[in-house]
Amino acid sequence: MNKSKGQKINRREFARNAALLSAVIVPAGIAFEEPAAATNEQLPEGAEKLSAEGRVEAEARFQQIMSQYGSRFDSEEQKRVRDGCYSLQGSLERLRAFHLENGDAPAVYLKPLLDREKKPQSAPSAGAAPTAAKKP
Amino acid sequence: MLKESILYESVGELAKRIETKQLSPVELAESYLERSQKFGPQFNAYARLMPVEALDQARAAEKDIHRGHYRGPLHGIPYAAKDLLAVKGVQTTWGAKPFAEQVFDYNATVIEHLKNVGAVLLGKAAMIELAGGLGYMYASASLQGETKNPWDTSCWTCGSSSGSGAIVAAGLAGFAIGTETWGSIVCPAAFCGVSGFRPTYGRVSRHGAMALSYSLDKIGPMARSAEDCTRIFAAIAAHDPLDRSTLAVDKAAFTYSPAEELKRRGLHVGWLTNAWKEYEPGVGKAIQAAHKILPRYFASVRDAKLPEGPWEEAAGVVLQAEVASSFGEFIRSGRVKELHDPLGRVGGYVNLTVTGGDYTTAQRVRGILQKKMDAMFESYDVLATAALPAPATPLAMNLVTGLAFPDPLGAIGNLCGLPALSVPCGFTEKNLPVGLQFVGRAGDDAAVLEAGQSFQRATPWHRKHPRLS
Repeated sequence: MNKSKGQKINRREFARNAALLSAVIVPAGIAFEEPAAATNEQLPEGAEKLSAEGRVEAEARFQQIMSQYGSRFDSEEQKRVRDGCYSLQGSLERLRAFHLENGDAPAVYLKPLLDREKKPQSAPSAGAAPTAAKKP
Repeated sequence: MLKESILYESVGELAKRIETKQLSPVELAESYLERSQKFGPQFNAYARLMPVEALDQARAAEKDIHRGHYRGPLHGIPYAAKDLLAVKGVQTTWGAKPFAEQVFDYNATVIEHLKNVGAVLLGKAAMIELAGGLGYMYASASLQGETKNPWDTSCWTCGSSSGSGAIVAAGLAGFAIGTETWGSIVCPAAFCGVSGFRPTYGRVSRHGAMALSYSLDKIGPMARSAEDCTRIFAAIAAHDPLDRSTLAVDKAAFTYSPAEELKRRGLHVGWLTNAWKEYEPGVGKAIQAAHKILPRYFASVRDAKLPEGPWEEAAGVVLQAEVASSFGEFIRSGRVKELHDPLGRVGGYVNLTVTGGDYTTAQRVRGILQKKMDAMFESYDVLATAALPAPATPLAMNLVTGLAFPDPLGAIGNLCGLPALSVPCGFTEKNLPVGLQFVGRAGDDAAVLEAGQSFQRATPWHRKHPRLS
């Protein structure tokens, strides 16, 4: 999954990585179990408002972060990450509950790059064209 | 040094003096620099002062004006720019330690526009690290430390345009430039008792500005009055081929002439009754007083209700997903650990888990909301309510719990890219400013600015200033 810029990923690799990722998102031991039972820890505030599936998803989200980056966090930070996962889950449940028709398109559309836009000229009052930032 | 009363004059008043050569741009810049050197550190208002560059620009302005080349109301007016706007050759820290030595070799378009009309850049204003996009718990979430409110230094200015608010409130510059993704102009303007304008998305180029959320970020002025905001907005609003999100030439540009005031239309105001669950007592009183006088100055004032829906959730998911991209590498690399705020150090990891499906759902909800709001503006020219239900908060407050009230209007306004203006409308018993907010239809920035000007013609609040010692 850690492909450097410019490297292409073939279809077989994509399928394998997707399978690995799904294994991370829903670890076998946790899948479809109440997260409190699985982790034996107190659930974050607001967890009781989530559906059972939502709690599993929030916990899987947390486990995904821990499996990738867990060594970076102390216990207090782990708690904050977990709180964040449950908070996000609450938002997602309310968002997903909003009724949308199939034809309700996203607000942000692709703006095709037309020929005349390909070589932007300087804005009337803009200065030299930008180059990469000089970073230390 | 010039008298404090002159340094607190509006851009319009200063411009008259400069145009008639009663006021030297050099003397004005020197006075603001001296005041900024004295008071700036007290408030942690600046990321960096640029005295050499500022005086060079002021001298050039003076020379031009003496030659008869007066460029307009911003010529020779000193200002500060939020430290996420690239200024060629000058450190642009984004308020964050990991970027403390970052230097760009070009100017942000908004800096170029202001340079072209002769404004004098005094320095870079302090800000919340990375504009708060990875989350933050404390006012101290900044490379420059907590920005203290000139009205009460035990209180915060709000963020993320923290320094911009403090600089204008303390009379350290003629105006400042801030940015807003969600609340970062409106909130500091309200907390600091200044006028802050968030333009329609796409009217001001973001080229050279730190990108936090590509579909939410906006740049706007913070100044002493709505009229000043109008003048500054006219100088920075324009299509920019370097920023593909800017509107077409005719839709982005904005012209302003005080003579146009004669053609003022009678504005119909929708007074929002469901924008906030409750007000803190001092705020409620000032807002009720403002509500009471509005009918005298507007064509009509009728109660209005925001549509109900998961707008805050949609705005949150859009923001989190876009930050996961704009700062994805920074988060994954672990450098995020170098941020100051304990929440900022971990919040980004949660953002990385937002899926494309959920992001797209949020964008679809956004599309529905845009239509609902556009329909609402068939009945009203502007919507009005408090900028915030609370005054400036104590510096040490945990913002996650202390400022945790629903903000549907902030979510709606930013999701739909609507223009908004916060103007001072009174004070609490503890002498902290209260802001009144006007929000308009996308593209109708003129109505919002006109509403603010109408309110300020009738009220004295924008002329009140903190006593500094």
